[in-house]
Amino acid sequence: MRVSLLVAGLVAGCAVAQAQDKLVLDGSTTVGPIAKAFAESYMRQNPGVNITVSESGSGNGAKALLNGTCDIADLSRDLKDTERKAMAEKGVKPVAHVVAYDALPVLVHPSNKVKGLTIDQLRGIFTGKIKNWSEVGGSDLAIVVISRDTNSGTFETFKDMVLGHEAKIVESAEYTGSNGGIRQRVQMTKGAIGYAGLGFVDKSVKALEVNGIAPSAETALDKSYPIARPLFMFTNGEPAAESLAAKFIGMSRTEKGREIIEEIGFVPVPAKK
Amino acid sequence: MRMTTRKLLDRAFTAAACFAVGLMVLFLLFVLGPIFGKGAGAYVFTGTVEHRRMMIDQFGRGDEARVAAEWAGAQQARRPIYDALAAFEKELPQLPAAKRKALKPAFKAVREGVAVLLGPEPGEPLPALTRKMYGQTRWEKVQAKVTDILFEETWDYSEGAGKKVLVPRQPMFEGTALAPLFPLLQTDLTALLRPRLTFYPGFLTDVSVDAHFFGGIGPELLGTIYLALGALLLAVPFGIIAAVYFQEYAKEGAVLTFLRTCVNTLAGVPSVVFGLFGLAFFINTMHVSPGKSVLAGALTLALLVLPTVIRSSEEAIAAVPRSYKEGAMALGAGQWHTVLTVILPAALPGILTGIVISMGRAAGETAPIIFTAAVSVGKLVNPAELLTQPTPALSWNLYNLCTEHEAVDEIRHVQYGMAATLVLIVLVLNLTAILIRARVARRLKG
Repeated sequence: MRVSLLVAGLVAGCAVAQAQDKLVLDGSTTVGPIAKAFAESYMRQNPGVNITVSESGSGNGAKALLNGTCDIADLSRDLKDTERKAMAEKGVKPVAHVVAYDALPVLVHPSNKVKGLTIDQLRGIFTGKIKNWSEVGGSDLAIVVISRDTNSGTFETFKDMVLGHEAKIVESAEYTGSNGGIRQRVQMTKGAIGYAGLGFVDKSVKALEVNGIAPSAETALDKSYPIARPLFMFTNGEPAAESLAAKFIGMSRTEKGREIIEEIGFVPVPAKK
Repeated sequence: MRMTTRKLLDRAFTAAACFAVGLMVLFLLFVLGPIFGKGAGAYVFTGTVEHRRMMIDQFGRGDEARVAAEWAGAQQARRPIYDALAAFEKELPQLPAAKRKALKPAFKAVREGVAVLLGPEPGEPLPALTRKMYGQTRWEKVQAKVTDILFEETWDYSEGAGKKVLVPRQPMFEGTALAPLFPLLQTDLTALLRPRLTFYPGFLTDVSVDAHFFGGIGPELLGTIYLALGALLLAVPFGIIAAVYFQEYAKEGAVLTFLRTCVNTLAGVPSVVFGLFGLAFFINTMHVSPGKSVLAGALTLALLVLPTVIRSSEEAIAAVPRSYKEGAMALGAGQWHTVLTVILPAALPGILTGIVISMGRAAGETAPIIFTAAVSVGKLVNPAELLTQPTPALSWNLYNLCTEHEAVDEIRHVQYGMAATLVLIVLVLNLTAILIRARVARRLKG
């Protein structure tokens, strides 16, 4: 009897705790660093709150929101029609919140002498029509195409913006599960080409100019760099005004939140008026 | 003649066996040596004044007065560097246009490099990210950061494949106000950063600060312990009961063969399948928790180790001499009584060994908890929330830090520290298994 009371008490305690001071985030590995930094900053100011962040990819984030296993889904792309339909059937009402902007730098090994490519050349490389760096002004070296996995929002964005929706990525492409993984693969392989979020570029890889424009926060914001995108956090329904989810997402428009986003390497959204 | 052949064969076999064992030991040293060698660097390293400052700010640990004095000394030593930066900033607009254009990006790089090395300049607003609030905290990374300031890394593409070329920045700034900065960075590093041998046992229990840039692996360690213990709590009772049933109650026949095949098949299922099953069944179908949780992870891990527990318990029970059972029966004990008071105690060492080894497996598995329990950032899990709260765990976070983290190269010491700790846990568990076994076996004999 006493045991069952204890268990009941525990369960009730958990239920209450969950309503007020728990927030579960899942999804994109691109948005991950922002979510992690926000979570840490928020928990530091509000020690009673527990925010957990998983980075399992945009597709899994959308699935988690659909299944109700997360409060906020991080996505580096918009929801697909199929996902919206599935959510509508389950009564989930996705609401998009843009938290930052990102460009998708095209990465090559720093020893590669190619300085930039056009979108057409990129399309040729990723669809397998161009197979050697010498065809685009580089040295005689086979191109190793490295792509994000199909669960990734970065993959979807890149495919839509560079290859066109119908195009197929070359069969010999290697697929990697995270932005960090792409960078590691590119820095180890001389002939490699890949793409990742702005926040993941360091000096171990070279970011190419695309159509003559180098990727940066500025060129992402003024949209002169051709492969740029917003980063989203999705909630099920508009979060209530003073709720934890609303405050968490609202951080992206506070001064501190915008600083965090900028320091990680992404482009913050304009501040609240 | 035949005798000599036999002896020769015997010796050849001994030699081959020794060689195999030697190879294994060598391989073990080859694998574990670097893990422990580099992993120890997370606990014992040469820390700079920046590390001690960070520890006081973030964890409230350390001798405040002493660090304040050190910090004042370091700032004194850094003054000429900041003076040079400020003086050059004033000088820059007065330089001839061509030179100004050439030096401006180089100056920006130097200034950023100094901020990475020494932390934000005095008087500058504090950055939002904790990782940018301090300079280099670990001495072994200092030299690389100094090189980043002194040299510009460019690539020479004149001979086809590019070659890395380090162009010194010092000559560029010859004759300007920035010139004194370069020799200072080469000769005065110790005064600038005050390296000292540092022991950081807190790495084991501290929470991480700013995505593992600073702090320790406390939440991961606790999560791993909870998950492994939870898995055992769920798997052991069922495992032992099943083993007793297989050995003592079930009648040989088609059903038993079928059940045994099931257990063996379960033992061979890849762990990621368990992970997906856990997500689909425990979380999405059974709704044991609102999302990922320690409970869902422990349930999944329990399924994973269940066949091991069953099989090791079965073997241990089968190894109990028949005479024990017959003796108990002859004294009038029923089957249930015999199992409980004679067979299980006699089989205990074997069963315990199986359990502890399963625990090591549960602690080290990554795939089953990716979808059911593990998160990349989370607090120390409160025991009252084990049923609903997901947790970081050593195995998964090690993977996360090595592949997905935004600054993989900056946190190598954390990755090695985590790997060493995880391997150490498994080793200690296996050692415990051996000790328990020896002890219980001795007691049973005596």
